[in-house]
Amino acid sequence: MSEPPASTAAAAKLSPQALPWLPRPSGKMRDRIASLPSEPLQTLLSLQSLAQAAWGEAELRLLGRKIRSIVKSAPSGFAAEARQSGLAQVRLLVLSASTASHILDALIGTAIRFKFLLDVTIAEYEEPEPWLERHGRELKENPFDFVLVASDNRRLKLASPLGDEAAAEQTIDAAVARIARVAEVAGIATGRPVILQTLAGDPDAVRLNMDLGLPGSPRYLADEFNRRLVQQARQQSRLVLDVAGLASLVGDAAWSAGRYWYAAKYPFATAMIPLYTDNLMRIIAAQMGRSRRVLVLDLDNTMWGGIVGDDGIEGLALGNGSPLGEAHSALQRMALALKERGIILCVSSKNDEAIALEAFRNHPEMTLREDDIVAFRVNWDDKAANIKAISDAIDLGLDCFVFLDDNPAERKRVRDALPSVAVPELPEDPGDWLPVLQAAGYFEQAGFSKEDQLRAGFYKANALRAAQMDRIGDHNDYLLSLGMTLSIAPFDRAGRKRISQLISKSNQFNLTTRRYSEAEIAAMQSNADVFAIQARLEDIFGDNGMISAVICRQAGASWEIDTWIMSCRVLGRRVEEALLQYLVQQARLRGISEIIGRYIPTARNGLVRDHYAGLGFIQSGSQNGETIWQLAVSGYGEKNLPLKVDSQREWKLASSGRS
Amino acid sequence: MVHASEKLTASDDVLARVQEVFRAELDDEDLVIAPDTSQNNLKAWDSLAHIRLVSGIENDFDIQFSLAEIEQITSVRQFVQLIGERSR
Repeated sequence: MSEPPASTAAAAKLSPQALPWLPRPSGKMRDRIASLPSEPLQTLLSLQSLAQAAWGEAELRLLGRKIRSIVKSAPSGFAAEARQSGLAQVRLLVLSASTASHILDALIGTAIRFKFLLDVTIAEYEEPEPWLERHGRELKENPFDFVLVASDNRRLKLASPLGDEAAAEQTIDAAVARIARVAEVAGIATGRPVILQTLAGDPDAVRLNMDLGLPGSPRYLADEFNRRLVQQARQQSRLVLDVAGLASLVGDAAWSAGRYWYAAKYPFATAMIPLYTDNLMRIIAAQMGRSRRVLVLDLDNTMWGGIVGDDGIEGLALGNGSPLGEAHSALQRMALALKERGIILCVSSKNDEAIALEAFRNHPEMTLREDDIVAFRVNWDDKAANIKAISDAIDLGLDCFVFLDDNPAERKRVRDALPSVAVPELPEDPGDWLPVLQAAGYFEQAGFSKEDQLRAGFYKANALRAAQMDRIGDHNDYLLSLGMTLSIAPFDRAGRKRISQLISKSNQFNLTTRRYSEAEIAAMQSNADVFAIQARLEDIFGDNGMISAVICRQAGASWEIDTWIMSCRVLGRRVEEALLQYLVQQARLRGISEIIGRYIPTARNGLVRDHYAGLGFIQSGSQNGETIWQLAVSGYGEKNLPLKVDSQREWKLASSGRS
Repeated sequence: MVHASEKLTASDDVLARVQEVFRAELDDEDLVIAPDTSQNNLKAWDSLAHIRLVSGIENDFDIQFSLAEIEQITSVRQFVQLIGERSR
């Protein structure tokens, strides 16, 4: 289908409710909808790409309505087909004290921007508890994926005598407890995540400069309520849609429904609907593990002002002393703050790599250091190809990526070539960039854990390995250069949790897909007929942790390999060959003459169909797709492998001593 | 979105655009309206639909009705008349 190109002209300074990070729409929604393909799935995919522009409220509604009508008349089995094309079905229940039905279609229209086919049910104007009670059975039979409790300052009517702190606290406690109760009832009724809302400031209420510190004033009450609500939300694992934050972004007066509150009990101005629905979808996307995790930065005129190849390091605008330089420094600080939240920073730039790296190493005003960047792709290749290469190197999908570039032409090219990468539009002046990026909220997170902070390290190590492979070219030389050490040990108490996790989660590199509980794994340790090993792999880029386990069961003079699993993180590192070599050595010590392997095919483990053939086993039988393999221990020739094996711990040997 | 500089020529054009808003807001692609169409003879035009129509027309014509007008409007004729006054 040929579409008119979306406008990529640098956005003038736009207000946050205009979604300034998205390309401006071209044409009218009505006309765009009229010229769509007739096949329903193709239509939805076209609408999904259409939804990437900053449509206004009325046009989002048209879009949503179109989606509803397509889904309604689609053939059965359509949902599964849509899912295969990346469109996930999400069911949302909105419990709103004020009017909400007017946002239904805009919600659906916004949802498809995030690749969601949203099915919304709205309960408005009434107390949520009786509604939930009335619909109890439906909720159980066809549960919602998310429940939004849309509170509103005008409905909540927080009020308490001025200057009375204790009374204010009581009022707030009661209001928060009420929302918590609704959330609990909704959570129990649906068993799904509940989203709570903070309260926007009320521009109609008396508001003096001192009021934030005056117990009982509207401003004090709303502020304290919000603080208490989010505390409670955190404790009870509720999600939060920070409406107060949105209102402060655009201004409470602009956020307010004004006349429309009086006329129709709209909770906020209709012009704010696109911003509200976009934020709600971000929270849902984050909860579903679909938020962005990688920020790829351009260098010249993005990371710093000027072109390092032309201007030289000393000619760059960066840091104190130049207004432009300060703006670029602020961008770097923002990127560093994202890194602290677990976001992976990468660089893609058309430049000479040595010159660019020199700027990183030697420019005194660089906030970001070389070490903060997980992957560099600095060359003269197409940027889309480079972003794809980064995605491959760090093994994260393109839909986790955000690409930041000052050049509208580059932005458009990447957007066209890699539609799943988020490419924010930027105002012309770097001094105006940061609020646009913040308002885009690409890196929304459902929660914060220690692991988030550590994540970058793991991806960094993988990226370094990929870079090493690129540099060296020859695979075996590359493996040698990694300086790998494989530590092999019998099953033990310390490794049990991880072994059990590997056994329950490995699907691809898993020869038999037999699952064992922690207790069964513990029992193997003391079973004389079981020979079971765990293996960790370390290399110059770091510790990969425990990555493989093999369980052999003895029958006479042979071992049958009951289970062989390995983490796909270390595929292609010849770990399996080293493990077999070790097994053969141990078999010899124990008087075992034959090792038997078995492959039981599943939908997921095609990867290891030829595992035993590759290791030199001879096929001895097959039935129902299952294959059985034999290896004569005496016929195995030692191999020279590019990794060092370390098996320090003693084995309790029945027959002889260790080698 | 129509820019303020664009002149509205005839009330027929206005009526056609109002009809588009009605179709969109009332979710009825075949709806045909006339000046006499009112809350009394168009069932879908209930109180919630009314505010959507008001909002839709405000957005489409880039005008604003007063609260008093929102209350008084009950027919397409009144919409067209007020649009004519606002757009001059």
